[in-house]
Amino acid sequence: MTELEKKLKAKIPGEDTGIEIRHSLCAICSPGHHCGVDCYVKDGKIVRVEGTPEHPYNHGKLCTKGSSLRNYIYREDRIRTPLRRVGERGEGKFEPISWDEAYRIIAEELNKVKERYSPHAVTFTSGYCKWYRPIFHRFAHVFGSVNFSTDDCCCSASKVIADKVTAGCGAGPDMGHANTFLGWNYEGYYSGHLSVGGVQKLKERGGKVIIIDIRYTPAAKNLADIYLQIRPGTDGALALGMAKLIIDNGWADMDYVEKYTYGFEQYKALVDQYPLDKVSQITGLDPDDIYAATKLYATNGPACCNYSASALVHHINGFNSHRAILCLSALTGNFDRAGGNVPNPPSYIHKPAGFKTKEHEFRSERYPGGQERIGARRFPLWDQQFDEFQGMDLLRQLETDDPYPVRAIFGMGMNAKMYPQTDRLLRAMKEKLDFFVEVDMFMTYTAKYADIVLPACSSLERSELKAYQGGYLVYTQPAIQPLYESRSDVDILCDLARVMDLDDAYLKAGYEACMDHIIEGCGLTVADLKKNDSLPMKVPTAKWPAQPGGCLKNGFKTATGKFEFYSTAIAKIDPKYGLDPLPSYYDSLADQNDPETKAAYPFYLCTGARLAHALHSRTHETPWLRSLCPEPLCELNVEDAARLGIQEGNLVALSSPYGEIHAKATLTHKTQPGVVLMLHGYTKANVNELIGMDHLDPYSGYPGFKGMRCAVRKCQEVQ
Amino acid sequence: MKHIFEFDPNKCCACSACMIGCMDQNDIDLSDETCFRKTFHNEIEQKDGDVYFAYLSVACMHCADAPCIEACPVGCIRKDPETGFTIYDNTNCIGCRSCAMACPFGAPRYRKSDGKMVKCDGCNTRVKNGLQPACVRACSFGALTCVTEEEYQASGSDKACSALIDSLGLRRK
Repeated sequence: MTELEKKLKAKIPGEDTGIEIRHSLCAICSPGHHCGVDCYVKDGKIVRVEGTPEHPYNHGKLCTKGSSLRNYIYREDRIRTPLRRVGERGEGKFEPISWDEAYRIIAEELNKVKERYSPHAVTFTSGYCKWYRPIFHRFAHVFGSVNFSTDDCCCSASKVIADKVTAGCGAGPDMGHANTFLGWNYEGYYSGHLSVGGVQKLKERGGKVIIIDIRYTPAAKNLADIYLQIRPGTDGALALGMAKLIIDNGWADMDYVEKYTYGFEQYKALVDQYPLDKVSQITGLDPDDIYAATKLYATNGPACCNYSASALVHHINGFNSHRAILCLSALTGNFDRAGGNVPNPPSYIHKPAGFKTKEHEFRSERYPGGQERIGARRFPLWDQQFDEFQGMDLLRQLETDDPYPVRAIFGMGMNAKMYPQTDRLLRAMKEKLDFFVEVDMFMTYTAKYADIVLPACSSLERSELKAYQGGYLVYTQPAIQPLYESRSDVDILCDLARVMDLDDAYLKAGYEACMDHIIEGCGLTVADLKKNDSLPMKVPTAKWPAQPGGCLKNGFKTATGKFEFYSTAIAKIDPKYGLDPLPSYYDSLADQNDPETKAAYPFYLCTGARLAHALHSRTHETPWLRSLCPEPLCELNVEDAARLGIQEGNLVALSSPYGEIHAKATLTHKTQPGVVLMLHGYTKANVNELIGMDHLDPYSGYPGFKGMRCAVRKCQEVQ
Repeated sequence: MKHIFEFDPNKCCACSACMIGCMDQNDIDLSDETCFRKTFHNEIEQKDGDVYFAYLSVACMHCADAPCIEACPVGCIRKDPETGFTIYDNTNCIGCRSCAMACPFGAPRYRKSDGKMVKCDGCNTRVKNGLQPACVRACSFGALTCVTEEEYQASGSDKACSALIDSLGLRRK
């Protein structure tokens, strides 16, 4: 082999090999991340992907999923052309059509439903990605529908609303100045790889780490000074019990409480109902461990806390659990203080970057009104606090036409597996919809039910405006041309706005014009950003890092101007809904505790605990990642398995009152007896089939993905 | 300059990004071959009833005195004098698998499609061109690193011993 041949084989970039590095970003996971990537491109094809070393967000690092980006974008199941359904819905039989024809059909069918029923009979529903959402949101409103929904209806927004009605805003852990990190549900290794370094640094300078998790994770092993293996769904009770200890032992910051909080007396009366022995009984924790963790957190400050985006709020008592944890930050004087949790509002699409954009106005200034949103009557707090419909009520409304019919869905990455009782939703869509258009990169389980399917391209094949922590903006250029006939999601929407002649100059002007409008006044334009080789630029008006003390100085953005232990926003909700302004605790299986259900389904099913190779259903069909865990696995505690005669690799049936799925068992010591873990998103073993469509948190409408009764039995291999 | 792979099991979580990095670099065809690196997450029950949770990442160890070199009857495997990695040229490989049998870690693999041996070469060409091995490049947690011999000696070599003790599950949590 010649030296050049060796270099070609090793994919060394350079003029001699013809391998060029082009910058882009990975959009596999949540937009809270989206690491910068170096694409090694040869002859228009990507031959390798690495993290971009000079990128201010990820500094060259990529997670397991991001490392598979090349394999992800060149997947066999990429949709190649626009498609029209020729078989039954769900059968997956399509014929290719032209873009023009697809646009014509979509325009015609959506307008038909609008005329026959109302514009609100068309719902606009987004799954992943999220980058196009401001355009899509505005599109829905300009079309005339109030019904726009995203995966926010079951991801993170519950926490956001809980933050809003308690403190007026959210706040991130100020790890750099903390002495103690309360890692409540913190598992950075598989869910937020860039966060681990901050915790490691805290430990290196002598800081202490408490991890509270139902599973003994790598974070618990590698980082925890104190690890509390809590019984799932009981976090709210623990937080109230900790509050009582803090108050009783004089560890509370009473100056802070007096100056900056509202409703302390009612809150104190609530936490007084949670003495240590009772909390120990509920949570399954040793009272001494609870005491030690509480003392460390409350007396070794400043202490910051991980406010988990989804793990906690996926219990039907999760909204209140999160509020109860949030209250600990105020009780100890750590909210909006250095080393505690510091507010840092997002600049653009979930990314805090220290400057303002017009994202919210762009999304909502054309809200048509004229009808209540789906779910508004059932989840009034959600409806009041969030400008999307609560998608967890979509199935009920589809089935009952109450309060009005839904007859068309415009889906972008819509994922029925995200909803409890997936197949029931798809059945309702099959029977009730006049029209379903779906835009996606891959021919998914959901896309097979669509009448028209449009191929979207990946982040590497398009341009995207993106903000980053540190006060940055980037406008990427395509690293390669769009594969097959795929197009950028935003171009599809803007094309359609023109074809449908929607009454909006911005959408018709295209993505770049929309982005220039949104970032106007920040000190940079899209034209400036385009000159920077797809690398982030510092935004001149950005103030970074976020400085603590704003709420304390200027008042919290709540009705009282204070941090509200007693939420005045919740107090305003009609009492018939039974929502407590205080963060009270109730059982996470409250709707399944009758003796028959308890006896038939004795296990606690917790779905979706993160594993490194997966993100929802998004990466299950990516061959490299799938090879790391080829079969859907159900994690059973070793003692339970022994009792049921189940061995590693045995096929087991998991069932709930709503269905049954089969998966291979893997045995573990990482969870407690009685707890069953199962990753979600598999087509053949879709664990969300087991979650009841009404098993929802009354505050947020969030499904109890992480707390559901189930039964486990060994079954014969029939596959 | 000789290079040494180091592994710190207290930073590893078996996320397997290292494996994906290896697959991407080496165009591993999963229908026919497996990745040169492998991760493990094993729960080791100890005599005292405790459980040790081991997270490990293993590939060719690039042994100083590599038994695979001696085992190969046609001289495919050798040491790169510059990097110290155990490299190979399988042009003359007869597929006898002697190297795989001689290796205590099972690093060399037999590839069905062409009947030849393949293994981790430490991304020798990358390292010679100033880049890190692909698996090291993909590790976000500093668990897997590749350092020069000088750096390794300067850092104290007790890490390797520590890794071995942990990987054998000999240490209490």
